[in-house]
Amino acid sequence: MRILLVALAAAVLMSCGSGKKPDEKAFLESLDSAKNTGPTIDQEVINSVLQQIPSPLEISVLLKESGTKYNNGLLNSPDNLSTYNSNYKKALNLGIYGTDLGYTNIYEQNQDGIKYLASIKSLADGLNIGQFFDIETIGRLASNSKNLDSLLLITTQNFNSINGYLQNQGRANLSVLLLSGGWVEAMHITCQVASKDSKNKQLQETIGEQKIILEQIVLLLSFYKDTDENMASLLKDMEELKGAFDKINITYTYKESSMEIVNGVAVIKDNSTTTIQITDQDVANIMAITNSIRNKIIG
Amino acid sequence: MKKIALLFSVLLITGFTSSSLIGQCDPENFSNACIPKLAAGFNFLKSYKIDGEGGAKDKVEYSYVFTKGTQYMINICATGAATDGIVVTLFDSGRNKVATSKINGQFISAIAYPCNATGIYYIQYTFDGSAAKCGGSALGFKR
Repeated sequence: MRILLVALAAAVLMSCGSGKKPDEKAFLESLDSAKNTGPTIDQEVINSVLQQIPSPLEISVLLKESGTKYNNGLLNSPDNLSTYNSNYKKALNLGIYGTDLGYTNIYEQNQDGIKYLASIKSLADGLNIGQFFDIETIGRLASNSKNLDSLLLITTQNFNSINGYLQNQGRANLSVLLLSGGWVEAMHITCQVASKDSKNKQLQETIGEQKIILEQIVLLLSFYKDTDENMASLLKDMEELKGAFDKINITYTYKESSMEIVNGVAVIKDNSTTTIQITDQDVANIMAITNSIRNKIIG
Repeated sequence: MKKIALLFSVLLITGFTSSSLIGQCDPENFSNACIPKLAAGFNFLKSYKIDGEGGAKDKVEYSYVFTKGTQYMINICATGAATDGIVVTLFDSGRNKVATSKINGQFISAIAYPCNATGIYYIQYTFDGSAAKCGGSALGFKR
């Protein structure tokens, strides 16, 4: 009877555990030991900031909808791939090429898109995350412009999976670099377009709004400044850019929203507003610093 | 002694049962199911897992930077009818309530939010009489 009781007690204790399989638990513990070289900040905090960063695809859609013509001269050449040898460069340029791919997809420039796909796959393989990039399916979808929605969906899902995997594996530093690179490229494209269309106040506002996202990127990079000298260097550059953004005023006014149900969807009428004060000079300063940072990344 | 053995047996069964119930929650399945349910014209951005861990959590929260001039859609997928009591509420960075999917006691499975103010928003999922406390959600956008 005693043996039975001990066995029952052990079984109860096991059933109250984390529910993780022994192998999974051991693996997670091994990751914990590797955290000594990473930031001291809680991984969950890093992940929660990471998930806030918006998709660069939003900016590509904005550019297309505002009537801006496609210009592949704004993008990083996929042929630069061979110069990205360190994980630091690979992750940053994976983000850059990801934004470029989104841009080519939105403009339905599939021939260009396929070149970026190949470079992305190569960088992802180099970072041991190539398994999340379904290049065959994407390549097939890219061959027909009628597949645009599916193409956008699967590429977004692939990048989300990569970010989720990196964060779960305790490699969120690469996720931070990937998102930082993607953001820098979106900023670069937007600034270049805005510089040729100085009357386009919407584009200027879009640049100004990036202040909110840059603050999150600076925060993320700051978590690694004591443990990764490359990220510390990038942080320094981003802080310089933040200095240019500090001159921009964003005023938020909250007003209660109203709602109505339309065809089973709760449609919100947002009565809050933001106003963004940004000058041509601000845009010029931001563009110059962004270019400098991007050149360091892609060079 | 028999009583103690019986007590342990009950605990054992309860432990396994609750553990297996928690294990049954597959939020990824629900969030994947939600993606094609985004209304036409919306581009997929993110999928969110909603796992109340069998009641251990009373809310699940994510955040995202929404941009002025962009319309967002957030939907909810769960077991059985409609949203199974899962409610999504949107808060701005100052924690002011901006939108909710529970209107006049009615659980709505999707909200469309034409954003008029750029900033960080909190997407909070709560369980209002939810049986499984398990679901998924997708976020999409269009200009």
